[in-house]
Amino acid sequence: MRSKAMWPARMGLAIAVFVPLAGQVVGSTPLSQDEAESTPDVYMVRAERLVVRPGQVRENASVLVRDGRIVQVGGADLALPEGATEVRGAVVCASYIDPWSALGVDSGALADTNLVGSARTADGLDLYTGDHLRDEALRAGVTLARLQAGWQGQIGGLGAVVRLDPQLDVAEEAVVTDSADLAMSIGLSVDQGSQFVQGPDGSFRIISGDRAIDVFDRVSAVDKVVSNLETGRAYRKSQLEYEHKFAEWQKAIEKKTEELEKDFKKAKKDRDKDVEKAKEKGKEHKDKSYKEDRKPKQPKPDPDKAVLAQVAEGELPLVIELHRAGEIRNLLDATKDFSRVRMILAGATEAGPMAGELASRGIPVIVWPSLRGTNAADEFQGSDLSLAATLRDAGVNVLLGSGGRDATASRDLPLLAELAIGHGLSRDDAFHALTLGAARAFGVADRVGTIELGKDADLLVLDGMPLESGSHIQYVFCGGRLAVSPN
Amino acid sequence: MMLSALLVAMAATLPGDLEGPQPVDSTGTPVEAKAIAPARATVFKAAKIYVGDGTVIENGSIVVQDGVITQVGAKVETPKGATVVEHDGAISPGLIALHSNEGAGGELLDSTREVMPEAEARHAFAPHHSDYRRARQAGITSLVLAPSSANLIGGQSAVVKTAGGKVVKPSAHLAVSVSSDALNFNRFPTSYAGAMKELNDRFSEPEGAVARAVSGALPVLVDVNDRAEIGRALGFVKKFQLKGALYGSYWAEDLAEPIKESGMAVIATPFDVGDGERQMRSIVALQKVGVRIGFGLDAPARHPHSLRLGAAMCVRAGMPADAARKALTGDAAIIAGIPGRIGRLARGLDADIVLWSGDPVALSSAVEGVYIDGKHVFGGEK
Amino acid sequence: MILTAILALAGGATLAPAPQSITIATDVLYTGAGEARENMLVTITDGKISAIGPGRPAGEDSLHVAAITAGMVDLSSRINSGTTSVEETHEVTPQYRVADSLDFYDQSWARQLRHGVTTVVSSPFDNNCIGGLSVALKTGGEPTIEARQVKADVALRGAFGSQPSSKNHPAFGRPTDFYSRRPTTRMGVEWIWRKAFYDALYAEGNEDRAFDGVEQLVAALNGEVPVFAQAWATQDIRTAVYLKEEMAGEGKPNMRLIIDCGAEAWRELDFLVRTKTSVVLPPFPADGRTGDGAFFAGDAAAKLHEAGVPIALSSHNSMLTGGFLGDQAAYARRGGLSFDAALAAVTITPARMIGIADRVGTIEVGKDGDLALWNGTPFELSSKVVGVVLDGELVIDPR
Repeated sequence: MRSKAMWPARMGLAIAVFVPLAGQVVGSTPLSQDEAESTPDVYMVRAERLVVRPGQVRENASVLVRDGRIVQVGGADLALPEGATEVRGAVVCASYIDPWSALGVDSGALADTNLVGSARTADGLDLYTGDHLRDEALRAGVTLARLQAGWQGQIGGLGAVVRLDPQLDVAEEAVVTDSADLAMSIGLSVDQGSQFVQGPDGSFRIISGDRAIDVFDRVSAVDKVVSNLETGRAYRKSQLEYEHKFAEWQKAIEKKTEELEKDFKKAKKDRDKDVEKAKEKGKEHKDKSYKEDRKPKQPKPDPDKAVLAQVAEGELPLVIELHRAGEIRNLLDATKDFSRVRMILAGATEAGPMAGELASRGIPVIVWPSLRGTNAADEFQGSDLSLAATLRDAGVNVLLGSGGRDATASRDLPLLAELAIGHGLSRDDAFHALTLGAARAFGVADRVGTIELGKDADLLVLDGMPLESGSHIQYVFCGGRLAVSPN
Repeated sequence: MMLSALLVAMAATLPGDLEGPQPVDSTGTPVEAKAIAPARATVFKAAKIYVGDGTVIENGSIVVQDGVITQVGAKVETPKGATVVEHDGAISPGLIALHSNEGAGGELLDSTREVMPEAEARHAFAPHHSDYRRARQAGITSLVLAPSSANLIGGQSAVVKTAGGKVVKPSAHLAVSVSSDALNFNRFPTSYAGAMKELNDRFSEPEGAVARAVSGALPVLVDVNDRAEIGRALGFVKKFQLKGALYGSYWAEDLAEPIKESGMAVIATPFDVGDGERQMRSIVALQKVGVRIGFGLDAPARHPHSLRLGAAMCVRAGMPADAARKALTGDAAIIAGIPGRIGRLARGLDADIVLWSGDPVALSSAVEGVYIDGKHVFGGEK
Repeated sequence: MILTAILALAGGATLAPAPQSITIATDVLYTGAGEARENMLVTITDGKISAIGPGRPAGEDSLHVAAITAGMVDLSSRINSGTTSVEETHEVTPQYRVADSLDFYDQSWARQLRHGVTTVVSSPFDNNCIGGLSVALKTGGEPTIEARQVKADVALRGAFGSQPSSKNHPAFGRPTDFYSRRPTTRMGVEWIWRKAFYDALYAEGNEDRAFDGVEQLVAALNGEVPVFAQAWATQDIRTAVYLKEEMAGEGKPNMRLIIDCGAEAWRELDFLVRTKTSVVLPPFPADGRTGDGAFFAGDAAAKLHEAGVPIALSSHNSMLTGGFLGDQAAYARRGGLSFDAALAAVTITPARMIGIADRVGTIEVGKDGDLALWNGTPFELSSKVVGVVLDGELVIDPR
């Protein structure tokens, strides 16, 4: 349900807007609220080349956008309906999705290390600050993001996929799905900041920086993941058992009730006799108790365990952030028995040697092509810009994300994608990672990720193919709203 | 005025005039330029050759002999017996990072004395450190090792090659800091007042390296953080008529005109993913108004690819791509003080060449081959 | 033709080219150099006041306000870069200039300008006993010291009381750094001051005993530059004045002393009169207590003025509604200070104290074109500054 305030009134006349086809436009601007409300919500987007899905390009195509959706896809001759605005471009493709982003999460929620499985990132969104950051992300072509609170904690709660439109300031409109995944992390050192404290003798010391993480902490973190999965499995099992027992009990009750109703009169007489007898004896009459009265006990509902159960049964993806080779190895070994779990690794910086196994187990990896220097390398080797290429070559489903820590980084996701391309990832694979790949991994491929009938209108109009250095984004449609146009 | 790349074939065996001081190694001993293979030349061919001064040669060639470029042009005379490298992609001069700390650890900061004009960064040059390998892999062939900005006068910077161990210029700048980095809480100076007075006193009665800076023989490299510091730096530079560059560019767009008037170049501090647009806009505004721009790196705290990330972010913010390329090469060499040695693909300059899969300022371009002084140091090419 | 120039409040923007001449009509003109006069015109040409005379506003669109005073002067503006404006490696650093540490992009300058304060004195932060040299400058114009400075080295700044010793500690019990030094008490602070002056006395004319900062101390002893010392409480004011008298006894009778933040100066009237000491009063606090626990009586200004002590008011860069310099004058009036004395205390008296009265402080032909334009009688709660002229430019337009 879209609110009236968001979708502008239709204009009576058709307005054709012609875009210079070869112009290199630098710096498109997002539209203001007033501009948005005065422009129509019906657009005919004409493309010389339409990238329908990664690897599938259609020449001279048209896409009709209405009420936020793609309602028609056709050739160049598709008729322009009354009231529609025409937008032309050399290339039209699906807009980018950042599957590992922090843009729009309340900063307190982001830093929280004590979340539980049922904590919803959708409840921790901050849609009121950082509008300029969302504008910048839109201009860079990123219109959707998977957001995760509590990235430093061992459990991060339920992630959400959100539309990055600064015009959307109510969660119901911005959230595409509020349970995209459950997140966990292994081996992340938590920056607790430095504290300057005074000791009892009056002297001053500096305490701490990162929470100490050693090998044993990491091993126990893997154990925690496994025990969480087992808990989830057990909970689901007990739920199923209860349901089964309950069904049986209901049957038994029915049967017994039938029986008793048949002999109702007799049973009543018997009971009255018993009551009399008891009265004579001066005792209390105790009603006969039937074993059928004993209702099976429902397992205490536990929302956290319920989420873990969904994860254990593969109904909800599990995103685990980890980096070191040892942790990845341990995790893979420890989760061999959980074949139904849909694991997605985030980061996985040292996963190169295990690429084959990741591919054969169908575990996607969200790569973060970060530029950390060696000083910030923590205990592992630092960033590996060719990781995406290495994994892809081995057959792993590679996604690209901006790291999920820094709200400003989503804007630079296309640049990070270019870095990955410069280190061996093919352009097509990068484009897939940013569109359909991310949509599929988080269960929103029915709504976004490609340009197909019925899907949400999240589109980019460029003067060249996406992710190519000379190409510039000219228009951005976010949920069918024209969010960015050239200066 | 630099010669463009349209030189026709000249005698291939004669190296051009070498400007700049005799190269020395890290102990200061003069080093003779080693020939790769005596009298054997290499010819590089590519669809696009970015010369480094803003010009481009389509389908051109570069002839290298004895570590030096002997010809560049659309047509060259191929010397007998030359190895030919046909590159499918683009070629540019090696990138130059104008402020960095590769392999130096804490050696570029002496925390006991805040004024050490005679200290030379070249003594912290450790050419075999793995940081230099990483720099080469990112297409960086020369960098300026600069003393830390935590000292008022930290010493003299040096221009070094990232392979071969050469110190191309042992005394490139006098590093001066008027930024808050130079202020301490437990030793002099604790205040800008103290800092500026000390600098004024030192420059008013200059000795040694400071005297060379005042005379104009030694450019200064002035570390600044915000507008107030830039203002103070410009006043200081004007008072003593100094030449050189400012290191630091936040909010500088407000001061584009005064910076232009001062004649100082600006070296951008390294960029990171997620940095605010304002920083990039500053650099773009400065370049637009005619200030010479270069990029700093500060590896190993920063990844070497941050150099090109900064250039790509500036291009995204509106800087023309060829200005960005110049800032990484030809203009950087001018800021480093040795435009006659590095920074362009031109006759007589060092053969520091990078082979790319595409445009150097596009992050999607891969470094496919790196040559320093004509010697192949990285990449799949022979 | 009158051009309107709006000063960019975030600092750094250049002003529109200065108009040749601007004329402002006012219902009441308070020149500060004589009686208030009604229905007057003030003309400023090329940055200086060029004409003052009776007249009516020219037309509908012309500049016409209810009252005009000279742009106000605040000696204790407290606009500096905080601790980076004072060199704490030593407790006595007379040779350093606060002008080298100023940030012209600080919003404080523009804020004060908006409220009618056109000239301020910036001093080093008071963490040192003797912190260095203060500077008098305008609160607007090009963001450089050269463009804004009215006079360099207008005072030798220092402090008594508890602030200079607050960061020092004894050398035992914790790691030593350069704060392991005296003074740690008021006695120590006074000792440091006295030692500095005596060292300067002995060094005067004796090259062998010269040290960094001796020139500035000698200049202060000789009265060439006033000593501008923070002293909130009675004991600190007395300490400062005793020191001055002691130096007079040592052959230096010309030393000038201005007490800054003299909240309890009203308790030492005879003392101050006898030693010809001037006082700058701090902003009026809500509960009477100010720095170092000093009690600032509501009628302090009136009492001091009546006794003949030259007084100036200050606002310490207050950002609170009701805290600006014009408001301080209102509180002083409420405490019994006459209008003329209040006006003088925020204009000509501070200018005289630091020797810039030839340029600012009153509205007289030849002085700088710095005016505060009011929408009613100045220094009343119902009035406020609605326009400001700085060096002949209408930087805040009342229309």
